[in-house]
Amino acid sequence: MEAPPVTVMPVTGGTINMMEYLLQGSVLDQSLESLLHRLRGLCDNMEPESFADHELVYLLKGQQGNPFMLRARRSLLHPTAPWHLRYLGQPEVGDKSRHALVRNCVDVAASHSLPDFLNEMGFRMDHEFVAKGQVFRKGAMKVVVSKLLRVLASGNTENTEPLSLSYLVELSVLAPAGQDTVSEDMRSFAEQLKPLVHLEKIDPKRLM
Amino acid sequence: MRLHISSLTGLSASSVAAAVQEVSLDGLETYVPLLSMSQNLAKLAQRIDFNQSSDSDEDGPERESREPWGKPEPEEDEGTVKFQPSLWPWDSVRNNLRSALTEMCVLHDVLSVLKDKKYMALDPVSQDPALTKTPQVFQLISKKKSLATAAQLLLKGAEKLTKSLAENQEQRRQRDFNSELLRLRSQWKLRKVGHKILGDLSYRSAGSLFPHHGTFEVIKNTDIDLDKKVPDDYCPLNVQIPSDLEGSAYIKVSIQKQSADIGDLGTVSLFRRQPKAKPGSQMWHLKLEAAQNVLLCKEIFAQLSREAVQIKSQIPHIVVKNQIISQPFPGLQLSISLCHSTGEKKSQRASPDKSKPDDHLYVLEHNLHQLIREVHTMPHPASSPFGHKRLRLAGPMAYDKAEISSLQQSEGLLEKIIKQAKHIFLRSRTARTIDSLASRIEDPQIQAHWSNINSVYESSVKVLITSQGYEQICKSIQLQLNIGVEQIRVVHRDGRVITLSHQEQELQDFLLSQMSQHQVHAVQQLAKVMGWHVLSFSNHVGLGPIESIGNASAITVASPSGEHAISVRNGPESGCKVLVQFPRNQAKELPKSDAVQDARWTHLRGPYREVHCGRMEGRNFVYKMELLMAALSPCP
Repeated sequence: MEAPPVTVMPVTGGTINMMEYLLQGSVLDQSLESLLHRLRGLCDNMEPESFADHELVYLLKGQQGNPFMLRARRSLLHPTAPWHLRYLGQPEVGDKSRHALVRNCVDVAASHSLPDFLNEMGFRMDHEFVAKGQVFRKGAMKVVVSKLLRVLASGNTENTEPLSLSYLVELSVLAPAGQDTVSEDMRSFAEQLKPLVHLEKIDPKRLM
Repeated sequence: MRLHISSLTGLSASSVAAAVQEVSLDGLETYVPLLSMSQNLAKLAQRIDFNQSSDSDEDGPERESREPWGKPEPEEDEGTVKFQPSLWPWDSVRNNLRSALTEMCVLHDVLSVLKDKKYMALDPVSQDPALTKTPQVFQLISKKKSLATAAQLLLKGAEKLTKSLAENQEQRRQRDFNSELLRLRSQWKLRKVGHKILGDLSYRSAGSLFPHHGTFEVIKNTDIDLDKKVPDDYCPLNVQIPSDLEGSAYIKVSIQKQSADIGDLGTVSLFRRQPKAKPGSQMWHLKLEAAQNVLLCKEIFAQLSREAVQIKSQIPHIVVKNQIISQPFPGLQLSISLCHSTGEKKSQRASPDKSKPDDHLYVLEHNLHQLIREVHTMPHPASSPFGHKRLRLAGPMAYDKAEISSLQQSEGLLEKIIKQAKHIFLRSRTARTIDSLASRIEDPQIQAHWSNINSVYESSVKVLITSQGYEQICKSIQLQLNIGVEQIRVVHRDGRVITLSHQEQELQDFLLSQMSQHQVHAVQQLAKVMGWHVLSFSNHVGLGPIESIGNASAITVASPSGEHAISVRNGPESGCKVLVQFPRNQAKELPKSDAVQDARWTHLRGPYREVHCGRMEGRNFVYKMELLMAALSPCP
């Protein structure tokens, strides 16, 4: 009996390269209600869902310049839900006329041993924060309205204080690479929120 | 010429008394010397006015012509009187007469010359013919001109009024268009693309993934004739729906029998609700609702036909144009068809089944709505991509392929519909079976208590078999039927669980066998009450004729004194047989035996005699048994 044939080449690839299209903006606390009403009307007909997440940002400092960053996020409201590990690449320098920020995105669900695993791998936690707010969806578009809270004592998510007096609004779409119609839809949706919140593409490099 | 003496009356007054000329200092009055007769006459002659004549019928112009050279004469007269008072008083008279004579002579001469017609002729003065007519024509022209100017003014005014009226109407129409647009916007989704207003009537915001665009266009209704009266249902706004969504559509679901025994559940039409024209609703609203209904029916049908082709089942489904035919049970045909009628041609089918107020209708519609729309779940944590929650767990929990495939929703819409159809059919047939048995058989009675709350795939009913009047005693047969999709599960009171198939006959046979068992059980309970002893009891006797349905049951009970015994054998087919055992001394022919000598042995029970139940009194079997028992146990 012969052994069954084993493929010599390891299996690589197979996953679609997903890109994240992102638009960001912010609203002050007092304008939050009107924005939520607007979103309830525009987005799909569902009850708006509240969330409370704890995000930890891990860095792997190599010898050469840029450290490698991974974001690990868990839900505080659903403790049994799996962790979410995310890698976000550099924003694509495409033509300036593209309306949204496009970057490579890899999402993985992980079990609850993720922080230990990352520590073992050599990642060190850079910073952490808690995000609380609401999530809306319209088709493939996701709108996240969140308040960012600083964690005062590391690991203790009960003791938090808000970072600012405003809410962060993010409009994102996860789509395979090469679909430019997505940014058009995002822009037209952002137009509808115009007087309440201005969503625009914010290059993270320019902020640093 | 009459002389006009004006002061004749004054003469008389002055002649009576002399006027006082002067009064001297010594009081002596000097009177004016009275005029003599001739002096008086002269005075009067002076007063003659030759100009003034008492003839009033003289012509005006002649009078006028006499006036100019008559006027200076009294002045002359007065002048002459003033300046020369000593002149002869008749001078003026004489002058006047002389001038009058001169004139008369001249006139006479002229007339005599004229009469000759040689040197002078009289010709009338030529009248200008235009002058006589000009007044009328001139009047006409002037009237015409004035009328023309008046008419022009009026016309101008009227024109201004009509223009302002038209502007008002136009404005009103404009305003109406905007208010209608506002109303439209409050109920439907609109967006502005360029200079067109487009709307969305698809179910995409509710989660539908149907690839139809579902956009409609809002157009202004400008084909209104301002001169004619505005119709009551005029709307300044009109919507243009896509051409393939015009008309109205509904889904017709029918379950038909193909063989005689299975009942026909008939036909229902889903989503056929005719939108009642509410007084406030506009035409565009009805149009859009109808178009949305068409879209919904199309989506449902598209999904059903897709599944009908994809899924494999024992009996393959047939998809023919607008109809899906499948067979849930052999002999039963379920057909789902999409009926789309555009407004022009009147539908000829006079469907006898108008939308019945059937509970199934709304429940099935609601089910379809729910099945079409996926219920989205939001990811937690919020940054996770959308997707099914179970699949997100697959990685961390290390599911294998079998577990993942079990998590996937493999059941499609059509399968669910077929399952529901099967269940409904089975339930209705079970009900019919029970009802027909209940109406056919009076003894024992069969009662069915259906539970109000059922699921789409399961219903339950509790069946009680009792005898009338003995419900408290004989309640041993209680069956709980759980009607599923394809089977009926029966749970007996004594704990047995029996599964019946969908065949109607099985249930009927089972119920009949239970009824016959009930009779025997009833006798058993009755014996306890009456004080009789149960000697033997068997649910399934192995003796006697074989029953085709179930088994016969039998019981033997003995009287308290032991003298009599009753044996009952009841079978579903063979019916009821009752035998009574008498003591030996009551038998007609008693076999004498040498072995048994003692008289007390004659009290033992001996021969049997059959009882004709049909001729007994009593409304049901248990009552007859009670009578029999009462008759056989003598009063102490």
